[in-house]
Amino acid sequence: MRCPEAIRAALAACALAGTAALAAPADVKGEVDARLHAELPSLETRDYALGSAAFDEDLRAREAAHADAAKPVLAKGAALWKRRFKDGHTLAACFPNGGRRIAVAYPQYHPRLKLVFTLEMAINQCLKAHHEALLDYDGADMAAITAYVRSLSNGYRVAVRVPARAQAHFENGRRMYFSRLGQRNFACASCHIVAAGKRYADVPLSPAVGQAARWPFVRGDEVLTLQAQIRACLERMGAAPFPAGSGELNDLEYFLTYLSNGLPIRANAWRP
Amino acid sequence: MRGATLAVAVLLSFAVAAAAGAEPLAGAQLFVRPDKGNCAACHQVSDPAAPKTRSDVGPRLEGARMRAIGRDRLRALLTDPMANNPDTLMPPFGRHRILDASEIDRVVDYLDALP
Repeated sequence: MRCPEAIRAALAACALAGTAALAAPADVKGEVDARLHAELPSLETRDYALGSAAFDEDLRAREAAHADAAKPVLAKGAALWKRRFKDGHTLAACFPNGGRRIAVAYPQYHPRLKLVFTLEMAINQCLKAHHEALLDYDGADMAAITAYVRSLSNGYRVAVRVPARAQAHFENGRRMYFSRLGQRNFACASCHIVAAGKRYADVPLSPAVGQAARWPFVRGDEVLTLQAQIRACLERMGAAPFPAGSGELNDLEYFLTYLSNGLPIRANAWRP
Repeated sequence: MRGATLAVAVLLSFAVAAAAGAEPLAGAQLFVRPDKGNCAACHQVSDPAAPKTRSDVGPRLEGARMRAIGRDRLRALLTDPMANNPDTLMPPFGRHRILDASEIDRVVDYLDALP
């Protein structure tokens, strides 16, 4: 029996209602921006990209003094980016402009796979297409490559899009950001919206806006990607961290990066 | 096999004895240890012996204020602060088993004795 037109129309209406029930990303960003500006009235918009350093002159000075801390990891990342595969191709050739300015648009929604696609996934997609070994999402090589590629977008403004089809992923990220997790019962928003700018364990808490403009960090030989930082924080909260590259962390990265739209990327800052 | 079993039993008995003899952490230690209360992460405290910190997520804890709140209320706040304020950022130390009842009592003793 053919599905009556009335039922098909009702199903379509339900799908639209489901989409309409989700808050528009621009509205969510507007609310977060307004909340942070109310809590931190003296913080200039451009300084959100400084993260914790916006509230600590000593940390800013030490960052400046360690401006070259990322050089070794960037050299490693550049070498991996330009390394010839067995078929003669390179990672650089998989991306427009050799990778310059591409980081501003990641993560992005992949319409065919229907999921959030991070820069790391795009890197592995290129490797797979050229029959090269894939990289671990939380491995040192992947971190070095993303550090290098994001450095090619330094100063360019974050510009992540959330089309209608991707809103459920954005909403999933938003919901996780505001959900209390773990033994300590903190939500990400507890520290990075409600308590933004205050000091936790003597370190200023970075505001949610700007966090995704400002990764990775370099600590000694270690490159801390955004997802690595989130995982470390989840552990400190007494929550089992989602695996790097998981749908949960990808959606969370998507939400956080959208909040940083318009801010310049400032990758590879030194951290103590 | 019998010798190995005996050796394991002896080792286990030493471990149990060591654990039983271990001193319980004092309130001041529970206040600062990251794997326990970690209270110093959010609160400054009027204890001259406490590590100096600029942490200010929570209010500075002074003896007079702690004694005004009272031991019973402090115990309740540490056990489940959300019962008093659902929006609080303070972890539910008792409800989430971060601290057991006797550890909460020792933290209350510490706060009650602050200058």
